[in-house]
Amino acid sequence: MNSSLAVAALILFVSLMLMLPLVPAFVELRRKSDASPLNVVQQHAGEIRHFANSFRTYIQVLEPTLRQCVASGATASGLLNDGVEYLALGRCDDSQTFPIVQPGATCSVTIAAGSDLIVPRKITFLRDVYAGGQFSGGDNNSYRAILGEKDIHLGRSSRVTRWVHAVGEFSAEHDCELSGRISSDSRIRLQGACNFLRLNAPQIDTGHVMPGEDSTRPNSEDDTNAGSGVVQRFLYDGDFEVHAGEVVTGNIVARGKLHIGAGARICGSVKSVGDMVLGSGVSLQGSLISGKKMLIGPDCAVNGPIIAERALRISAGTRCGSLQHPTTVSAPRIEVEDGVTVFGTLWAREHGEVVAN
Amino acid sequence: MIYVLYFIVFVICVYTARHYWFTLNRLFGFQRHPYIDIDTASWPLVTVLVAAHNEEKVISNILSALMTVKYPEGRMLVIPVNDRSTDGTRAIIDDFVERFPGRIQPFHRAGGKGGKAAALKDAMELVTTEVILIFDADYIPGAGLIKQLVAPFFDPEVGGVMGRVVPLNVGTNLLTRLLDLERTGGYQVDQQARMNLRLVPQHGGTVAGVRLSALREIGGWNDQSLTEDTDLTYRLLLHGWKTVYQNRSECYEEVPETWAVRIKQIMRWAKGHNQAMVTYGLRLLLGKHRATLRERIDGVLLLGVYAMAPVTLLGWALALAVFFRGVAPLHGVIALFSLTAYAALGNLAAFFEIAAAARLDGTRRRISLLPFLILGFAVSIFSVSRAALSQVSDLVTGAELHWDKTERFRKVL
Repeated sequence: MNSSLAVAALILFVSLMLMLPLVPAFVELRRKSDASPLNVVQQHAGEIRHFANSFRTYIQVLEPTLRQCVASGATASGLLNDGVEYLALGRCDDSQTFPIVQPGATCSVTIAAGSDLIVPRKITFLRDVYAGGQFSGGDNNSYRAILGEKDIHLGRSSRVTRWVHAVGEFSAEHDCELSGRISSDSRIRLQGACNFLRLNAPQIDTGHVMPGEDSTRPNSEDDTNAGSGVVQRFLYDGDFEVHAGEVVTGNIVARGKLHIGAGARICGSVKSVGDMVLGSGVSLQGSLISGKKMLIGPDCAVNGPIIAERALRISAGTRCGSLQHPTTVSAPRIEVEDGVTVFGTLWAREHGEVVAN
Repeated sequence: MIYVLYFIVFVICVYTARHYWFTLNRLFGFQRHPYIDIDTASWPLVTVLVAAHNEEKVISNILSALMTVKYPEGRMLVIPVNDRSTDGTRAIIDDFVERFPGRIQPFHRAGGKGGKAAALKDAMELVTTEVILIFDADYIPGAGLIKQLVAPFFDPEVGGVMGRVVPLNVGTNLLTRLLDLERTGGYQVDQQARMNLRLVPQHGGTVAGVRLSALREIGGWNDQSLTEDTDLTYRLLLHGWKTVYQNRSECYEEVPETWAVRIKQIMRWAKGHNQAMVTYGLRLLLGKHRATLRERIDGVLLLGVYAMAPVTLLGWALALAVFFRGVAPLHGVIALFSLTAYAALGNLAAFFEIAAAARLDGTRRRISLLPFLILGFAVSIFSVSRAALSQVSDLVTGAELHWDKTERFRKVL
């Protein structure tokens, strides 16, 4: 081999080695195997009822069967369009009439009841449950999803892994674990030690509602919110305190910690970059935002959204939003004492819990 | 000369470290999305401004999309800002006004100063709501986007909000694919990391919002600026208002499909950014205002992004000059080690960022196109340097800054 050929071969070899890392790039450019736009949710807006609505549409094919079952009081079984097995119940208003009564048993079919549905205790439902009437579940049950056309009541220590939607009222006894989305068109009531993630209803109550509470009573200055009113802004670079009983008209922004004394009244919104503490009986017309932890004292009334970027605790007797002006309460970790009312959404990204006072 | 080179190397290293910091934050840090869960509220009145200058190819898409978004009835008004269009834009807008009475109020602008900021400034006479959202005409908002962009305004510290831009015409050619990767890195990592770290997320002037009282406080739209979005970001910051970024508020856009259009676009961005750097840089770093120390530092680094192109070219030239003059910087051996270390770590930084961003997006195979980004980088570094040079020459000759509209590629419906 002469020297010029060797040099040419070397150049060719080096060029090939340099091109080698580009081969996957050329292949992808030619094949366009990953060239579609990033999937952006365009059509639905993340509504809490999205899965419930889809399930209602999915189960619509069972309507004639359910009607027949209700009329005859019989039970029917078969396969849904996608091959999933179902059990249509004509009558199940007593836990003893439910086809599975053995504690610890697993139900692996979709359950659809044309009227009221009462299920016994210690059953694991691997598929979705539909109740055309009231739904009542025994203690220690585990559900994937439930859609109820009237009220839904879960027994003590029940578990939900995906979603529940009640057209009527939803209630859960003590120690329930409610993962996923829980919604009601009417009201949600959670008893002590219930865990939750995302709740939505016109009214959400924890524990027992205080005697004499009128849920229809609007909060003070109910007709405004933080986004629409143009009010003065007070900006403080460090920690700040609103003294007890003080009345402030305007938005408050504290770049440090913020303490709002008992009985103070703020006609505006409040933000703290650090921790925020509200004393008892504070009333707030706008929103409440904390960059860290937030503690809301007893008997407060907040009209706008409540956001804590780290953790939030709401004390008994506090009302968030109103029936006329529902709102959102959100934080990664939320503790809600017995006797709190939220109108709208209560959303704990990581862990929410109803705790004793 | 050698000290200038040292300084340039130092600045490049700072930007490299910044790339890594942002990327590692996105991969392992605490992620801030504080307002995204606000789905129930008394939603405020909102005005949506759609900037349109000869947008007949795209304007009907955005107006149709805006008419189907989920926002309480009667609480949203769309104002298409028709800025001296000479094509069919006006007729299309008027057709929508007829079809959706009370929901669209057109603003037809026949004369006046050119540019988006000038058009928006004039359109403000129609705006009465505290919350204003802004879209360019080539964007297609999804059903939940308006609520998502309005939600941060419940925070009284927020003056501006920015959503995420997602290219729609990704698969058209190599350029669109590279721009898709660049956007992914810029939003998924850069912007979100700035949000996480409480730095300075940048207002993008589209898929964005601004609070009317904040806008009034800072003196309204600046029609002298080529990039009204960058200008807005810094004026808000200097007045104690925050701009927040919402990574999950995504909206499709059309990216340039030809290199000529891309070069024009990036040159305008570079000029506008440099303009903001000269106007606000020193004041932000050393002035008496409400920005925190980390915001001051990050803000200045963000302002300097486009200036880094000519600075890097200068660095290359100086390095060659030093080499041929026989100077051995840092006693030779240290320089050699530094060069080797930078070749391994420094050059990887931007690629690592984009690859991490694509990974966070759940996409995989498009990452294999990363080597081609060198092409995009080469085009950018020379275009941006050219823009900087022409800006300096404009300064000397007293020529006025000229606003160029980005050409659209969608087919007319």
